[in-house]
Amino acid sequence: MLLVLSEEHKEHLAFLPKVDTKVVGEFGRITMEFLRRGTSPKIYEGAAKKLCVPVEIVQHGVEGLMFLMLESSKHMLSEVDFLDSVLVLGFDEELNQILLQLYLQHHNQIRSILSHLPSSLPAYHNLEWRLDIQLASRLCRQQVIPMLTMRLLLTRGCDSHSDYSSRVLQADPSTLLYLISTLEAALAAIKTSHGRRILRNIK
Amino acid sequence: MELSESVQRGLQALADASSFDQSSFQALIDVSHRSLLSSHGDPAVLDHPELKQIDQILLKQVHTAATTFILEAVKQNADKSTISSSLEELTFSAEKIEIFYSIYQKHKKELEHLLASIGRRPAQINDISWRLQYHMKNGQVDKVNEPFYSISLNSEKDGCSEDMNFTCTMEQLQDLVGKLKDAAKSVEKASQM
Repeated sequence: MLLVLSEEHKEHLAFLPKVDTKVVGEFGRITMEFLRRGTSPKIYEGAAKKLCVPVEIVQHGVEGLMFLMLESSKHMLSEVDFLDSVLVLGFDEELNQILLQLYLQHHNQIRSILSHLPSSLPAYHNLEWRLDIQLASRLCRQQVIPMLTMRLLLTRGCDSHSDYSSRVLQADPSTLLYLISTLEAALAAIKTSHGRRILRNIK
Repeated sequence: MELSESVQRGLQALADASSFDQSSFQALIDVSHRSLLSSHGDPAVLDHPELKQIDQILLKQVHTAATTFILEAVKQNADKSTISSSLEELTFSAEKIEIFYSIYQKHKKELEHLLASIGRRPAQINDISWRLQYHMKNGQVDKVNEPFYSISLNSEKDGCSEDMNFTCTMEQLQDLVGKLKDAAKSVEKASQM
């Protein structure tokens, strides 16, 4: 597929051919930093001073570059598609190649950053368990009740690097066996012909 | 079995043949067991035809003593000889002891169940359900193309049911199942000791 760039976007990117290729590389670095950690006006000011252009031009150039990288990574553009999309900007071959290299180098990283954006349900992290035998309680002496106590650790929504939420749960042995058989059936579902067909054909 | 003074006095009154003959004794023991097992407090629990002749205050004292004794016996899992010797000490006749024990036997299991279910414990897992889905794309990323599971774990605590929803990849689900199977193996080993 090809990217369709808006007029405004093309305008912003029009700044790139006017500068040295080293500068384009520098912009690429600023772009990646922007995606990883955000940006500060100082960076733009510094670059603008060095190049003797207004700050907005630098800012737009970087943002334009960043948006180009983001959209290409989001859609997993192939090399050919990327070059074709960039063709419309009318840059020379060398600049196109630089942009392509930038894209190829970073698109996996960009995709992984993007994948952390959507808010997600809590995800499984770990299960800790122990087997206890209850011998007595306040109202009942002389018991022999086997009990499985478990701690389920789940990630909290969006960021998988944040704390985990933990729940303490108990199950008796028969419930445990039921859980195992149900989840084994779940695992088998991926391997059915229907499952395989979908996984193969939707790419 | 250790019993408080008031319970002992109540039971001695119950043992007394002049206050309680065998049929009224049987009625009281029966009523005592039922009152423990019924789920609602019933003010009319002592309205039994056999018990109408007995002084109501005495009846209440005796009922309290009997139910306390029954609960204590269930709690300690007392065997027949323990119950018999306790009742003998309280001047119960052999026939009354027999009557008591046969009614007690009938209800013992249910009472045990009842006592075991009272108390606090962590949420108990009731059920688990799963869905297998294929994640194609989302607002930020296109062409994700990954299968994943949505698991819903239902648990209950103090009568309140709760659903825990989470996702996992196939590898994570395999990890979870592996750990559950380890737990099951340890249960099996423990049961063979």
